[in-house]
Amino acid sequence: MKAPILQMKNIHKRFSSTIALDGVDLDAFPGEICGLIGENGSGKSTISSIAAGMQKADEGEMFFRGEPWSPVSMIDALEKGIGMIVQESGTISGISVAENLFLAEVKKFRKGPVVDREEMNRQADLALDAIGASDIRGNMPMSALDFQARKLVEIAKVVMKDPDVLVVDETSTALSHEGRNILYDVMRRFREEDKAVLFISHDLDEIMDVCDTLTVLRDGNLIRTFSKEEFNPDAIRMSMIGRELKGDYYRSDFIPSSLDEIALKGEDLSIPGELDGVDLTLRKGEIVGIGGLSHCGMHTLGKVLFGAIRPESGRVVTGDGSEIRDEGSSMKHNIGYVAKDRDTESLNLTASIRDNIAIAGLDRYAVSGFLLTAGNEKKYVDKQIADLSIKCSDRDQAVQQLSGGNKQKVVFGKWIGRGSDILILDCPTRGVDIGVKRDMYRLMSDMKKQGKAILIISEELPELIGMSDRLIIMKDGRITKEFTRSESLSDADVINYMI
Amino acid sequence: MDSKTALLKKYKRRQRLVTVLPFVALAVLFAVLCLTVQAKGYRLPMYLKILLNEGVVLAIVATGATFIYTLGSFDISLGASTLFSATVGVMVYNATGNFGLMLLAIFGVAIGCSLLSSVLASVFHIPVFVTTVAMMSVLSAVAAQIITANGGALGGISIPAEVVRPFDVMWFKILVLTVFFAVCMFLFDYTKLGRRQKFLGGNPVCAKLTGIDLNKYAILAFIMAGIGVGIGAFLTLVYTPSVTTGTAGSIGMNILVAIVFGGMPISGGPRSKIYAAVVGGFSYIILNNILKILIDSNAGYGISQIVSAVFFLAVVYVTGMNYRSQLLPR
Amino acid sequence: MKKYLAMILAMVMVLALAACGSAAPAASEQAPAGDSGKTVKIGVLVADVSGEEALGFANYYRNYIQSNYNVEFSYTEQLADAAAEKAAIEKFAAQGYDAIISFSASDRATQLQTCIDNGLYYAVASGMLDDAQYEQFKTSEYFVGQIGPSMDTEYEAGYAMGKYFADQGAKKIAMYGAFIPNPMHVFRAAGVLAGIGATYGGASEKDAIVGQIFADQGIDLKKVESKDVELAGYFQGFGDTTFDELFACIGAQPDAFLSVGMATTFFTQNLNDAGIAFSDIDSFTSANGEAMADGKLVYLAGKYSSSIGPVFAAVLNAVNGTPVRDDEGNAISLSQDYLVATDADSFQKYAAADQGDSPIFSKEVLDTIIGDVSYADFSAAVAADRG
Repeated sequence: MKAPILQMKNIHKRFSSTIALDGVDLDAFPGEICGLIGENGSGKSTISSIAAGMQKADEGEMFFRGEPWSPVSMIDALEKGIGMIVQESGTISGISVAENLFLAEVKKFRKGPVVDREEMNRQADLALDAIGASDIRGNMPMSALDFQARKLVEIAKVVMKDPDVLVVDETSTALSHEGRNILYDVMRRFREEDKAVLFISHDLDEIMDVCDTLTVLRDGNLIRTFSKEEFNPDAIRMSMIGRELKGDYYRSDFIPSSLDEIALKGEDLSIPGELDGVDLTLRKGEIVGIGGLSHCGMHTLGKVLFGAIRPESGRVVTGDGSEIRDEGSSMKHNIGYVAKDRDTESLNLTASIRDNIAIAGLDRYAVSGFLLTAGNEKKYVDKQIADLSIKCSDRDQAVQQLSGGNKQKVVFGKWIGRGSDILILDCPTRGVDIGVKRDMYRLMSDMKKQGKAILIISEELPELIGMSDRLIIMKDGRITKEFTRSESLSDADVINYMI
Repeated sequence: MDSKTALLKKYKRRQRLVTVLPFVALAVLFAVLCLTVQAKGYRLPMYLKILLNEGVVLAIVATGATFIYTLGSFDISLGASTLFSATVGVMVYNATGNFGLMLLAIFGVAIGCSLLSSVLASVFHIPVFVTTVAMMSVLSAVAAQIITANGGALGGISIPAEVVRPFDVMWFKILVLTVFFAVCMFLFDYTKLGRRQKFLGGNPVCAKLTGIDLNKYAILAFIMAGIGVGIGAFLTLVYTPSVTTGTAGSIGMNILVAIVFGGMPISGGPRSKIYAAVVGGFSYIILNNILKILIDSNAGYGISQIVSAVFFLAVVYVTGMNYRSQLLPR
Repeated sequence: MKKYLAMILAMVMVLALAACGSAAPAASEQAPAGDSGKTVKIGVLVADVSGEEALGFANYYRNYIQSNYNVEFSYTEQLADAAAEKAAIEKFAAQGYDAIISFSASDRATQLQTCIDNGLYYAVASGMLDDAQYEQFKTSEYFVGQIGPSMDTEYEAGYAMGKYFADQGAKKIAMYGAFIPNPMHVFRAAGVLAGIGATYGGASEKDAIVGQIFADQGIDLKKVESKDVELAGYFQGFGDTTFDELFACIGAQPDAFLSVGMATTFFTQNLNDAGIAFSDIDSFTSANGEAMADGKLVYLAGKYSSSIGPVFAAVLNAVNGTPVRDDEGNAISLSQDYLVATDADSFQKYAAADQGDSPIFSKEVLDTIIGDVSYADFSAAVAADRG
């Protein structure tokens, strides 16, 4: 067996009240893609960010190619051979792609007092070509790029430094199908060049497909490392959450059902360049899924249905015929909306759990419609914390201290607490671990049974197929296909209509 | 697990400390002032009266302004609109001789100016801060024009002292402060208004997607600030029945200082506190007075300002302490 | 928890403040400070802490008077408005001061009322109340009086300056209005216009000219009409465009540049270089002496630092129980004129008399008006010693 490129021994790390790592050993071997998997808060991001110089361990030793390893910063680590593609966006939007790529090295292109932009752009194009992202060019302004393209720029930025160890932290959740393929190609190239990759993902199918070994972390401890031949979804899931997952992950029935009554209707919704005459009906007691590539218009559609974006033409009406004009009227008709970008659109991170849940329900628990009492509010909030089993120290804990899954539960609590009858969920399980995912699927099923209407917009086909009564596929702002729930429906059937 | 709960406790303790700190600071400063005044042989009761007079206008205007600061916004024109409201009040009294009309004019102008800032901002989709900058220039210029054109050789305009003299008593000022503060506290902590403003201040995008209309709450916040300005302008006239171009000139900056001294983040949001302005305003006034007593003015101008600036930075550091450590990476 | 704390604190404050209500009357029961060895404490209200004139005044009180008499002066910081003036007086009262001398003019009526409320003697230095205010307060025992240039004196100073240049045969002048609408500068500027024989908006009377300048917030050249002396340029204030305006005035090649204040601070160099004779109303500083001896400064009306000596004497008399009142028992009201230097010799004489250990109002002079003196003797002494 080859010697590991990177060795981490007995790594400890804590953040004020939270123990993130409790003595973890981790090795990265050449020619190997090692998957890191675990629930939110298991420590997988922490250990990889320590390796990549983003933060320091409280205790423990690291060796890189046999030498003691203690990078002072991410840039230092990247220069010396370990590069990391981070989960949160690390690009700056006011400047060009090339400037982003060569942020700290602009002086390399200096000719006298001026920067040779042409040369810088050319080098940037080369770096982008090298990862197969040729449709992004160095002279483009960063702000013109979408989320996925920015991610690809970040990947190019790390890969062009040619590190020996590449750390990829949940980057794939931000990427569409083609974006993921670009990333996988990069990772495979590293393997072929006898370098090491640490790949962090929530997506079990993905990680089993791409990785050679798989290390499971839980509560800051290394639980087990699986080799390729040991890969078994159930065993991995079990070691991730420390107990067996009972019952069905998705809905157990395969019979499409709904009440007759219409809950929400979009009529001929158009926004130039985004939506092109979309008609859509959501009935009570129905789960409708919307799938497609990330630019198919489905995320915009979610916002239009909630009234957050006014369509250029067409309208959104509720079952009783009232028109939805803005978020306020939407809430009046008991519509709730869980945004795709959780941290910026669904939550107030510096506020407490209590504030975040209570804010949508002020009118629900106010005495005589205006007086807010602490007693009523605590009751209201505590019910959501209990019903959704949100893991927190107490209701006054700041939401930013919670893991992704628990943050999402807070968002759900915000809308469920006020008794929403119609829920528009945009990527509700994005960045959420499987334990929480399962809870959410159950919740949706329960709500369906109560006659509530649910619209799930998702980039993950299995969950759409697993949950929807009807699955609508969109492409280029139009609905291209509608499937009815059936046991035989598979990814392959659907994917053709997306691309 | 034990170490985890211990850490959690420590964290909570620190959080509580940061919350309590402004009150402790006020109490300590108050005690120090009393001791200094006694030690110097000055008349303490009179000093307390002076403190109240100096602090009450600041505390009221700043409490009204807290609604704006909570939104993460900023109004730089409050000093100018206090000046302008008082100016119009004086002109109206001198023209009509009617006390009621004077009050009406003061409040009408104060709330009107505030509304104008916020409505202009929402109509033209520019940050409110920008419109308040414009308002500040316009209001102080117009007020200066009125004052100098009518004040003539006196350099200022005034109403007869007897008109407001009955109100220049401690109990009245305490009553006004208490009532205004109670109303603000009620609105801020016990109604949707305050809760939604705090939420807006924390994350306007999320607030919009929770059905909270920024423009509506910005306008409401500015109305509250306008009421504060109106009361402030009236109490300014009560203290000195005249208005000069320099009247209320320091209020604008002092509001900022008061709010920070009171332990509220300047960026507003969920950690905003309605009592910050009162606690911080009085702390600041007391601190300044202590420094003025201790540092002989003959020793050199500006030393007390430097000391209070250092104090200000220390307060910002301490109140921000917990905030920074909350930003955990996962 | 924090709310309780807030309430407790509020209670403490309220109680403390309530206590002051009952304790306040006791505040003024201290024995009047006599010459029995107790230091007389005088608070000085100032609106300007850095100007040449203000520094000269402060120097005279702090160094000369304080070393010759058993008094202690305490200066305020720069007072921005009427509220700051009132608070400063209240603090002096709380600190057991005996009297207030005020150089600050935001609201003199309120200052005076506050002194009366707190049992402090009050005098206006280097300025005057307006007539209505004087009438209102002149019988109050705490109002010691006012000694300084009145607004009429300011007008006269401007008038004299304008007339001087007209008499010298100037045909074309430019003018700097300093900080109009500052009342002092408005009156001086009105005086200058009258002095050169001009009308302003058709008016030739003092009050009418002053009123129009206040309304215009400046001087509108189009409204100036003059037979003999042309006003070729005018500007005021100090900002981004000031020097452009100055050069425009210089470009008009006037015979003289008349300033109602601050020109010696701002423009001496430029005017010397341009070779234009200029005048100002300022004080007898060494820089002004040089400008007069070697430069183009040809006319300077100035206050001398010790002109505030008599005010001190009056205040000291009042504190010591021998107040000086006029024949009807009213507070002193005496106007002080400016001294005018038109050549280096007269300038040097005034400057010398104003500096160092022998000011015009020296201890010897002041001693003649301290103690039991009649109003006639007092006013004669103020009117006499003029270098």
